[in-house]
Amino acid sequence: MAVKTEKKVLGMERETFRQLMGKYGVSLIMVVMIIAIAIYNPRFLSGTNLINVITQVSINGMLAFGMCLCITIGGIDLTVGAQLALVGVIMGQVITNSGMPVIVGVLVGVGMATLFGFINGFFIAKFNMFPFVVTLSMQLVIRGAAQVISGGRAITFDATVKNMYYGKFLGIPYPILALIVVFILMYIMFHWMKLGRYILAVGGNANAAVASGVNEMKIRIICHTLSGLLAGIAGVIMAAKTGTGQSNIGVSYETDAVAAAVIGGTSFAGGIATMPGVMIGILIVGFIYNGINMIGIDANWQSIIRGLVIIATVMLDMAINGKNRK
Amino acid sequence: MKKKLAMLMAATMVFGLTACGSSDDSAAKDDTAKTDDAAKDDAAADDAADSDAAASDGEFKADVNGDGKIIVGYISKNLTDPFHGPINESGTQKLDALVDEGVIDEWTGILDGNTDGPTQINCAQDCISKGCDYVIILPAEAEASDPAVVQMAEAGIHVVVVNSKTNSTDDLAMLYSGSDDVQAGEMMGNYIIEKCPDGGKYVHCNGILGNSAQIQRTEGIANTLGANEKFEMVADEDTQWKGDLAANAATNAMAQYGDELVAIVCDNDDMSSAAQTACNSNGRSDIFCIGVDGNQTPLQMIKDGELGATVYQDGVGQLGAAIDAIVESINSGSAPAEKEIMVDFVLVTSENVDEYLQ
Repeated sequence: MAVKTEKKVLGMERETFRQLMGKYGVSLIMVVMIIAIAIYNPRFLSGTNLINVITQVSINGMLAFGMCLCITIGGIDLTVGAQLALVGVIMGQVITNSGMPVIVGVLVGVGMATLFGFINGFFIAKFNMFPFVVTLSMQLVIRGAAQVISGGRAITFDATVKNMYYGKFLGIPYPILALIVVFILMYIMFHWMKLGRYILAVGGNANAAVASGVNEMKIRIICHTLSGLLAGIAGVIMAAKTGTGQSNIGVSYETDAVAAAVIGGTSFAGGIATMPGVMIGILIVGFIYNGINMIGIDANWQSIIRGLVIIATVMLDMAINGKNRK
Repeated sequence: MKKKLAMLMAATMVFGLTACGSSDDSAAKDDTAKTDDAAKDDAAADDAADSDAAASDGEFKADVNGDGKIIVGYISKNLTDPFHGPINESGTQKLDALVDEGVIDEWTGILDGNTDGPTQINCAQDCISKGCDYVIILPAEAEASDPAVVQMAEAGIHVVVVNSKTNSTDDLAMLYSGSDDVQAGEMMGNYIIEKCPDGGKYVHCNGILGNSAQIQRTEGIANTLGANEKFEMVADEDTQWKGDLAANAATNAMAQYGDELVAIVCDNDDMSSAAQTACNSNGRSDIFCIGVDGNQTPLQMIKDGELGATVYQDGVGQLGAAIDAIVESINSGSAPAEKEIMVDFVLVTSENVDEYLQ
């Protein structure tokens, strides 16, 4: 970065370098962050710790992918934290209290979350309401539904449910596998399929998209429904992680999801996002939390540090490849 | 310009992440000196922890992972609650002092549990990765924080649960230090019975339903006021530990029951102080509101004569007892004789409020 106006940067053509940074700039930030934390506490790089971090980010990961879609079409989804609570208590009622198979509980829970996602999208697209307002209100409805369903009490799960978080396949924890599968599907959907281009088109310039024959309403509904679906999956992981379904869980989880999406280069102006970027954003948010604990930062400063690191990361990313992201 | 900005940002970020390493600066510097080999050793130590866990049934080891260091972890409930602020502060002072005295080698600093079970589970995993031997945890939830205790215990760590229990605390934790919340509920009930000898109607403001403190304090209230024929509970409000909701409950009950309403019993004193304020500003300072904790606002109100009493929960004392027990365990190389330390609640009135008001 120190090289100034020479044509060649680090032995590459200037333009090639710029493109590379555009694609991988945020990964570079992550690498710097990893090195910085590892210098302070080498245990950060231990296999156990790294697997822990990736397992831990799986919940926020699911939320962030959905959030990225909603932000890309110029909206936001503030319901995701409440969805976590809803899925947990539904699973509790179905599996623990009614004695039905785990898969039924999971399907009903994820199905309800998806339905609420659809309702969000329907209000936003059909009545042209502000996504912020709709999802802010629906957040209350969904958490309220969770309270009604659970009666405000925690419902415990047995080992079968917990195993969905703590179990492993070929040594890899299930949540990591789920995250990888979701990432691949999102990548294919967003970067290889027409739907992805439509989403970018609606977010970039809705009028132009409509003029070229894109069904704007359908795209908006799809994005919010997918966000609901992903929040539902996150809710299952959350229920397995805590071994309980309760209505007060997942408060303010939307903040980290927005942070991950934005760090990953998703633009609030709409129309700009990449799935690998969001994936890196998710990991960076995880490393921030883990790094703060690993370094042992003074308690009262943790929140400030977290906020500043997020701002700095986004600014750094913009500064590195401002032209590419404009 | 952009490049300058980029470099500035990079510097800020690295500075932000590293320069604020706080209490264990010296420990952090030691770590910096470590080579890659050390990192490998650490990983090996992590693996060894699992096998040690199995062995620990036979003999007690203070240094559970055999890395030659005693590391103490501290998972807070949160960093923002007025009840937990002083506890975290006293924990920082005491553990810093133990590092200075050489009793322990390092501690993790205060990890932020964010009043969230899943976050506390993450912190527990971080403690395992850091090679902690003892971990103090103030659980956010009886159910949702339980996996944190289970995982640390499975990794062989001596878990010390403070303030409230998780479900498997009795089975897995080395020690629990807290208070008997039924006692707090009974103290509130008895106070009201003493102040209102003629009985009357009262309102109960609950904490978040299902929370162990809410359940047990409610039980204590039922044992006393509930068992007394002169008293009738006219509302059992879901006020979720929140003062504003308790104030609403007070206003509603005053409108509905008028002079028959004699008391508002709350599961914490954020609620009782708010309820008393609502009563006082409606000209009903004759209503007795009482709660549990001993936060600064209610204590100040007692001092100013606006509130009759509150039940003080000695959180700092609970943590202090837990840390003392850890020190004893390290020195003696054995598990504490008592698995449970109970710290008494104290009824604070205008007579003794100065001892607790800061």
